[in-house]
Amino acid sequence: MNDRFFALLVPCVIAVVSAASMLITRRLVRCAALLLVHSLSIAAAYFMLSADFLAMGQVIVYSGAIVVLFLFVVLLLPDGGREVPVPRSRALVGLIAGTSMLLAIGMAMRSVLAAAEPPAPPTADLSVLAIARELFGSQLVPFELTALLLLIAIIGAVTLWHRGERGEAA
Amino acid sequence: MIAAAAASLSPETLVLATSALLFALGVTGLLVRRNPIAVLMSVELMLNAGNLLLVLGARVHDRAGGVSAALLVLVLGAAEAVVGLALALAYYRTHPNADVDSRGEVRG
Repeated sequence: MNDRFFALLVPCVIAVVSAASMLITRRLVRCAALLLVHSLSIAAAYFMLSADFLAMGQVIVYSGAIVVLFLFVVLLLPDGGREVPVPRSRALVGLIAGTSMLLAIGMAMRSVLAAAEPPAPPTADLSVLAIARELFGSQLVPFELTALLLLIAIIGAVTLWHRGERGEAA
Repeated sequence: MIAAAAASLSPETLVLATSALLFALGVTGLLVRRNPIAVLMSVELMLNAGNLLLVLGARVHDRAGGVSAALLVLVLGAAEAVVGLALALAYYRTHPNADVDSRGEVRG
Protein backbone atom coordinates (compact mmCIF):
# COMPACT_ATOMS: atom_id res chain seq x y z
CA MET A 1 0.00 0.00 0.00
CA ASN A 2 1.68 3.13 -1.14
CA ASP A 3 1.08 6.19 -3.21
CA ARG A 4 1.49 4.30 -6.44
CA PHE A 5 -1.30 1.96 -5.45
CA PHE A 6 -3.74 4.78 -4.90
CA ALA A 7 -2.58 6.59 -8.02
CA LEU A 8 -3.47 3.45 -9.97
CA LEU A 9 -6.63 2.72 -8.01
CA VAL A 10 -8.47 5.81 -9.27
CA PRO A 11 -8.11 5.16 -13.05
CA CYS A 12 -8.71 1.43 -12.55
CA VAL A 13 -11.95 2.01 -10.64
CA ILE A 14 -13.15 4.56 -13.20
CA ALA A 15 -12.31 2.18 -16.05
CA VAL A 16 -14.26 -0.70 -14.49
CA VAL A 17 -17.24 1.43 -13.48
CA SER A 18 -17.54 3.06 -16.91
CA ALA A 19 -17.22 -0.35 -18.60
CA ALA A 20 -19.92 -1.79 -16.34
CA SER A 21 -22.28 1.11 -17.04
CA MET A 22 -21.68 0.62 -20.76
CA LEU A 23 -23.34 -2.76 -20.41
CA ILE A 24 -26.38 -1.31 -18.68
CA THR A 25 -26.96 1.79 -20.78
CA ARG A 26 -29.44 1.30 -23.56
CA ARG A 27 -28.73 4.48 -25.49
CA LEU A 28 -25.78 4.20 -27.82
CA VAL A 29 -24.73 7.83 -27.50
CA ARG A 30 -24.25 7.39 -23.76
CA CYS A 31 -22.46 4.15 -24.46
CA ALA A 32 -19.98 5.97 -26.71
CA ALA A 33 -19.49 8.72 -24.13
CA LEU A 34 -18.78 6.09 -21.49
CA LEU A 35 -16.30 4.45 -23.86
CA LEU A 36 -14.55 7.82 -24.03
CA VAL A 37 -14.34 8.00 -20.22
CA HIS A 38 -13.12 4.41 -20.17
CA SER A 39 -10.37 4.95 -22.73
CA LEU A 40 -9.19 8.14 -20.99
CA SER A 41 -8.95 6.34 -17.66
CA ILE A 42 -7.04 3.50 -19.32
CA ALA A 43 -4.66 6.12 -20.70
CA ALA A 44 -4.23 7.45 -17.16
CA ALA A 45 -3.43 3.92 -15.97
CA TYR A 46 -0.80 3.58 -18.71
CA PHE A 47 0.65 6.86 -17.56
CA MET A 48 0.86 5.58 -13.97
CA LEU A 49 2.56 2.44 -15.29
CA SER A 50 5.15 4.79 -16.82
CA ALA A 51 4.18 3.95 -20.38
CA ASP A 52 3.86 7.62 -21.34
CA PHE A 53 4.14 7.13 -25.07
CA LEU A 54 1.38 4.54 -25.14
CA ALA A 55 -0.78 6.81 -22.96
CA MET A 56 -0.44 9.52 -25.58
CA GLY A 57 -1.18 7.01 -28.32
CA GLN A 58 -4.26 5.86 -26.44
CA VAL A 59 -5.57 9.40 -26.10
CA ILE A 60 -4.90 10.27 -29.74
CA VAL A 61 -5.86 7.01 -31.46
CA TYR A 62 -8.50 5.69 -29.10
CA SER A 63 -10.20 8.69 -27.59
CA GLY A 64 -9.49 10.89 -30.57
CA ALA A 65 -10.18 8.61 -33.49
CA ILE A 66 -12.00 5.43 -32.54
CA VAL A 67 -14.49 6.89 -30.06
CA VAL A 68 -15.23 9.80 -32.39
CA LEU A 69 -15.78 7.28 -35.19
CA PHE A 70 -18.25 5.43 -32.95
CA LEU A 71 -20.04 8.69 -32.14
CA PHE A 72 -20.17 9.58 -35.82
CA VAL A 73 -21.69 6.24 -36.74
CA VAL A 74 -24.25 6.51 -33.93
CA LEU A 75 -25.14 9.92 -35.35
CA LEU A 76 -25.77 8.40 -38.78
CA LEU A 77 -28.07 5.69 -37.49
CA PRO A 78 -31.83 5.93 -37.70
CA ASP A 79 -33.14 7.09 -34.30
CA GLY A 80 -29.75 6.78 -32.68
CA GLY A 81 -29.52 3.03 -33.02
CA ARG A 82 -32.40 1.89 -30.88
CA GLU A 83 -31.72 -1.49 -29.35
CA VAL A 84 -34.17 -4.34 -29.24
CA PRO A 85 -34.96 -4.96 -25.56
CA VAL A 86 -32.84 -7.63 -23.99
CA PRO A 87 -34.83 -10.44 -22.40
CA ARG A 88 -34.09 -11.23 -18.77
CA SER A 89 -32.99 -14.78 -19.50
CA ARG A 90 -30.40 -13.54 -21.96
CA ALA A 91 -29.01 -11.05 -19.46
CA LEU A 92 -28.80 -13.83 -16.89
CA VAL A 93 -26.96 -16.14 -19.28
CA GLY A 94 -24.54 -13.35 -20.17
CA LEU A 95 -23.96 -12.61 -16.50
CA ILE A 96 -23.25 -16.26 -15.73
CA ALA A 97 -20.88 -16.53 -18.69
CA GLY A 98 -19.09 -13.34 -17.68
CA THR A 99 -18.73 -14.47 -14.07
CA SER A 100 -17.36 -17.86 -15.07
CA MET A 101 -14.96 -16.10 -17.45
CA LEU A 102 -13.80 -13.91 -14.58
CA LEU A 103 -13.37 -16.95 -12.34
CA ALA A 104 -11.37 -18.79 -15.00
CA ILE A 105 -9.08 -15.82 -15.60
CA GLY A 106 -8.69 -15.32 -11.85
CA MET A 107 -7.70 -18.96 -11.30
CA ALA A 108 -5.21 -18.83 -14.16
CA MET A 109 -3.74 -15.59 -12.84
CA ARG A 110 -3.48 -17.00 -9.32
CA SER A 111 -1.52 -20.01 -10.45
CA VAL A 112 0.78 -17.78 -12.52
CA LEU A 113 1.22 -15.35 -9.63
CA ALA A 114 2.04 -18.18 -7.22
CA ALA A 115 4.76 -19.42 -9.55
CA ALA A 116 6.21 -16.01 -10.36
CA GLU A 117 9.07 -14.48 -8.45
CA PRO A 118 8.40 -11.09 -6.89
CA PRO A 119 8.83 -8.35 -9.49
CA ALA A 120 12.14 -6.59 -9.63
CA PRO A 121 12.10 -2.92 -8.72
CA PRO A 122 11.26 -1.23 -11.99
CA THR A 123 13.95 0.78 -13.64
CA ALA A 124 11.29 1.97 -16.08
CA ASP A 125 13.13 1.82 -19.34
CA LEU A 126 9.95 2.24 -21.31
CA SER A 127 11.14 5.32 -23.13
CA VAL A 128 10.25 6.05 -26.73
CA LEU A 129 13.76 4.97 -27.69
CA ALA A 130 13.36 1.56 -26.05
CA ILE A 131 9.92 1.10 -27.66
CA ALA A 132 11.31 2.04 -31.07
CA ARG A 133 14.16 -0.44 -30.66
CA GLU A 134 11.65 -3.23 -30.07
CA LEU A 135 9.28 -2.07 -32.78
CA PHE A 136 11.93 -1.77 -35.48
CA GLY A 137 13.97 -4.67 -34.17
CA SER A 138 12.35 -7.87 -33.01
CA GLN A 139 8.83 -6.77 -33.96
CA LEU A 140 9.64 -5.40 -37.40
CA VAL A 141 7.59 -7.97 -39.32
CA PRO A 142 4.37 -7.45 -37.28
CA PHE A 143 4.94 -3.72 -37.50
CA GLU A 144 5.20 -3.82 -41.29
CA LEU A 145 2.17 -6.09 -41.44
CA THR A 146 0.06 -3.46 -39.65
CA ALA A 147 0.48 -1.28 -42.74
CA LEU A 148 -1.02 -4.06 -44.83
CA LEU A 149 -3.76 -4.56 -42.22
CA LEU A 150 -4.73 -0.89 -42.31
CA LEU A 151 -4.80 -0.93 -46.11
CA ILE A 152 -7.06 -3.99 -46.09
CA ALA A 153 -9.29 -2.32 -43.48
CA ILE A 154 -9.66 0.81 -45.61
CA ILE A 155 -10.46 -1.18 -48.75
CA GLY A 156 -12.85 -3.40 -46.79
CA ALA A 157 -14.70 -0.44 -45.29
CA VAL A 158 -15.08 1.27 -48.67
CA THR A 159 -16.23 -1.95 -50.35
CA LEU A 160 -18.81 -2.68 -47.67
CA TRP A 161 -20.11 0.86 -47.89
CA HIS A 162 -20.47 0.65 -51.68
CA ARG A 163 -22.29 -2.62 -51.51
CA GLY A 164 -24.72 -1.05 -49.06
CA GLU A 165 -25.18 1.93 -51.39
CA ARG A 166 -26.25 -0.31 -54.25
CA GLY A 167 -29.03 -1.55 -52.00
CA GLU A 168 -27.64 -5.04 -51.55
CA ALA A 169 -27.68 -6.67 -48.17
CA ALA A 170 -24.11 -6.51 -46.97
CA MET B 1 -10.21 -9.69 6.27
CA ILE B 2 -10.70 -6.85 3.83
CA ALA B 3 -7.83 -4.96 5.47
CA ALA B 4 -5.60 -8.02 5.19
CA ALA B 5 -6.54 -8.44 1.54
CA ALA B 6 -5.85 -4.77 0.90
CA ALA B 7 -2.46 -5.00 2.62
CA SER B 8 -1.44 -7.86 0.33
CA LEU B 9 -2.49 -5.92 -2.75
CA SER B 10 0.30 -4.53 -4.80
CA PRO B 11 -0.22 -2.14 -7.71
CA GLU B 12 0.54 -5.07 -10.01
CA THR B 13 -2.23 -7.19 -8.51
CA LEU B 14 -4.63 -4.27 -8.83
CA VAL B 15 -3.91 -3.90 -12.53
CA LEU B 16 -4.20 -7.66 -13.03
CA ALA B 17 -7.60 -7.66 -11.34
CA THR B 18 -8.74 -4.65 -13.36
CA SER B 19 -7.70 -6.32 -16.58
CA ALA B 20 -9.52 -9.54 -15.71
CA LEU B 21 -12.64 -7.60 -14.72
CA LEU B 22 -12.61 -5.55 -17.92
CA PHE B 23 -12.21 -8.65 -20.05
CA ALA B 24 -15.10 -10.38 -18.27
CA LEU B 25 -17.24 -7.27 -18.72
CA GLY B 26 -16.38 -7.25 -22.41
CA VAL B 27 -17.37 -10.90 -22.77
CA THR B 28 -20.64 -10.23 -20.96
CA GLY B 29 -21.37 -7.29 -23.22
CA LEU B 30 -20.57 -9.36 -26.29
CA LEU B 31 -23.11 -11.95 -25.22
CA VAL B 32 -25.83 -9.70 -23.85
CA ARG B 33 -26.03 -6.75 -26.21
CA ARG B 34 -28.01 -7.15 -29.42
CA ASN B 35 -27.00 -3.97 -31.16
CA PRO B 36 -24.04 -4.56 -33.49
CA ILE B 37 -22.38 -1.29 -32.50
CA ALA B 38 -22.69 -2.04 -28.79
CA VAL B 39 -21.14 -5.45 -29.51
CA LEU B 40 -18.22 -3.71 -31.22
CA MET B 41 -17.78 -1.49 -28.18
CA SER B 42 -17.60 -4.60 -26.00
CA VAL B 43 -14.85 -5.94 -28.23
CA GLU B 44 -13.00 -2.68 -27.69
CA LEU B 45 -13.29 -3.24 -23.94
CA MET B 46 -11.69 -6.65 -24.31
CA LEU B 47 -8.87 -5.23 -26.42
CA ASN B 48 -8.24 -2.60 -23.76
CA ALA B 49 -8.08 -5.27 -21.07
CA GLY B 50 -5.48 -7.20 -23.07
CA ASN B 51 -3.50 -4.04 -23.68
CA LEU B 52 -3.45 -3.22 -19.99
CA LEU B 53 -2.02 -6.65 -19.29
CA LEU B 54 0.67 -6.16 -21.95
CA VAL B 55 1.72 -2.86 -20.42
CA LEU B 56 1.81 -4.40 -16.96
CA GLY B 57 4.04 -7.19 -18.27
CA ALA B 58 6.36 -4.64 -19.85
CA ARG B 59 6.51 -2.78 -16.59
CA VAL B 60 7.14 -5.81 -14.37
CA HIS B 61 9.76 -7.38 -16.63
CA ASP B 62 11.29 -4.08 -17.66
CA ARG B 63 10.99 -4.91 -21.31
CA ALA B 64 9.71 -2.37 -23.78
CA GLY B 65 8.46 -5.17 -26.02
CA GLY B 66 5.12 -5.24 -24.21
CA VAL B 67 4.50 -1.57 -24.84
CA SER B 68 5.33 -1.84 -28.53
CA ALA B 69 3.05 -4.88 -28.79
CA ALA B 70 0.33 -2.81 -27.13
CA LEU B 71 0.84 -0.18 -29.84
CA LEU B 72 0.26 -2.86 -32.47
CA VAL B 73 -2.92 -3.92 -30.66
CA LEU B 74 -4.05 -0.28 -30.74
CA VAL B 75 -3.71 -0.29 -34.54
CA LEU B 76 -5.53 -3.61 -34.67
CA GLY B 77 -8.38 -2.13 -32.61
CA ALA B 78 -8.65 0.81 -35.00
CA ALA B 79 -8.76 -1.45 -38.07
CA GLU B 80 -11.35 -3.69 -36.42
CA ALA B 81 -13.52 -0.73 -35.48
CA VAL B 82 -13.43 0.66 -39.02
CA VAL B 83 -14.43 -2.60 -40.70
CA GLY B 84 -16.99 -3.46 -38.01
CA LEU B 85 -18.64 -0.07 -38.16
CA ALA B 86 -18.79 -0.13 -41.96
CA LEU B 87 -20.43 -3.55 -41.77
CA ALA B 88 -22.88 -2.36 -39.11
CA LEU B 89 -23.78 0.75 -41.13
CA ALA B 90 -24.33 -1.26 -44.30
CA TYR B 91 -26.53 -3.63 -42.32
CA TYR B 92 -28.48 -0.78 -40.74
CA ARG B 93 -29.41 0.53 -44.19
CA THR B 94 -31.55 -2.46 -44.94
CA HIS B 95 -32.51 -3.31 -41.35
CA PRO B 96 -33.42 -0.25 -39.27
CA ASN B 97 -33.79 -2.42 -36.17
CA ALA B 98 -30.54 -4.30 -36.46
CA ASP B 99 -30.21 -7.26 -34.14
CA VAL B 100 -27.15 -9.48 -34.15
CA ASP B 101 -29.39 -12.44 -33.35
CA SER B 102 -31.62 -12.14 -36.37
CA ARG B 103 -31.06 -14.58 -39.17
CA GLY B 104 -27.81 -13.89 -40.90
CA GLU B 105 -27.79 -12.46 -44.39
CA VAL B 106 -24.07 -11.93 -44.61
CA ARG B 107 -22.69 -13.68 -47.61
CA GLY B 108 -19.40 -13.72 -49.49
